[in-house]
Amino acid sequence: MDSDFTNHEIFDEAKSQKESSWVVNTGEAQVQMWHTLLAGMFRKVVHLDSALGPGSTNPSVDAVLIPHVEELQYAIPSHTQVKVYEIWMRYRFELVSADGAPIAEWTMSSYGKTPTALLQTNQEAVNLAAVMALRDAGAHFATTFTKQPAVRAWLQERGVKTLEPRQ
Amino acid sequence: MSGRPLRAMMLACVLGLTSACVTSTVDESVYNEPTAGIGDASVVIVGRRHASDYETEPDFVKCVGGHIASGDKSITVINELEFLNALYPWFEPRTAPLHPKDVERLLAQPPVAQKLAALKVEYLIWLDGSTVRKGGSGSMACSLGGCFGFGTWTHDADYEAVIWDFTDKAEVGHVNTTATGQSYMPAVIVPIPIIAPVQGTACDAIGVQLLQFLSSEH
Repeated sequence: MDSDFTNHEIFDEAKSQKESSWVVNTGEAQVQMWHTLLAGMFRKVVHLDSALGPGSTNPSVDAVLIPHVEELQYAIPSHTQVKVYEIWMRYRFELVSADGAPIAEWTMSSYGKTPTALLQTNQEAVNLAAVMALRDAGAHFATTFTKQPAVRAWLQERGVKTLEPRQ
Repeated sequence: MSGRPLRAMMLACVLGLTSACVTSTVDESVYNEPTAGIGDASVVIVGRRHASDYETEPDFVKCVGGHIASGDKSITVINELEFLNALYPWFEPRTAPLHPKDVERLLAQPPVAQKLAALKVEYLIWLDGSTVRKGGSGSMACSLGGCFGFGTWTHDADYEAVIWDFTDKAEVGHVNTTATGQSYMPAVIVPIPIIAPVQGTACDAIGVQLLQFLSSEH
């Protein structure tokens, strides 16, 4: 996970005096969630702070997964006139071999929402919507990882048997 | 008159004044009731969160679970978040089974089947619905001398509980409840909110029916 991912945040400056500026910082929560999820999905997980450099090899791993948050959008009731707080994220994943050769690359979206009735403040509501979006990201990733054609082909090449959940 | 009855009467008067009326209806249809109770099996209540414009409130799910657990101490109700975390990612809005037959597909995965067996889940109850505030009228003006005016608003609750039997992988009942109540806030110097317990009434209504289904004592 590179520093762009682990420190990911968006800053949305207020466009008028009536609005507030927003900083949505998901970096720390992203790291926690993905560490937990990947540890449950794979036999062994080694954390790298940056991608493999050209010509370098990491013999302790079969492949390196590089997550990127490509886009994050949020919506609050004052923006949409709908009584729901929402967070939408688009991820891009790169799976490369131990020597850095590309195996697969794909994008994935996730979504979380919280109705206004549940919480007292905008911050609390956006925070819970982000938690829901992260849970959704994990669920989406876990249930579709082996369905990526290039990932599936790579796993089959290595003789890995995968479960076939019908979603 | 002694002090204690007087205090009780005053408390009753205050409670009467500070709660507004709620009208509720319940519609129930159940089959294959466990007449001898559910033994040492457990029940889990999970909120449906598929709709785009509302979300079943976690507090409501907790309230219904609490109603069942307190009504029959022998029934184990698993905490919703504990269940969702234990079965992650299979009961998230994106992945949750929509039909009882989908449970077969989940149980085909050994880790899921093992977790459900460890939790001894016999019944899964889906709760779907929400409580919404509808409209409002009146006006109130506040100054240093206090507030004067009157406000009123309505809350509507509409919930459905669908009961799935994990052993038979079948739907064995559903309970619908609706509740409506009008709340008031008169203000003569101090605003006095008279709140209609709409969500609480819906929780009790649905909880009573679910308790009757699950418990051999009710």
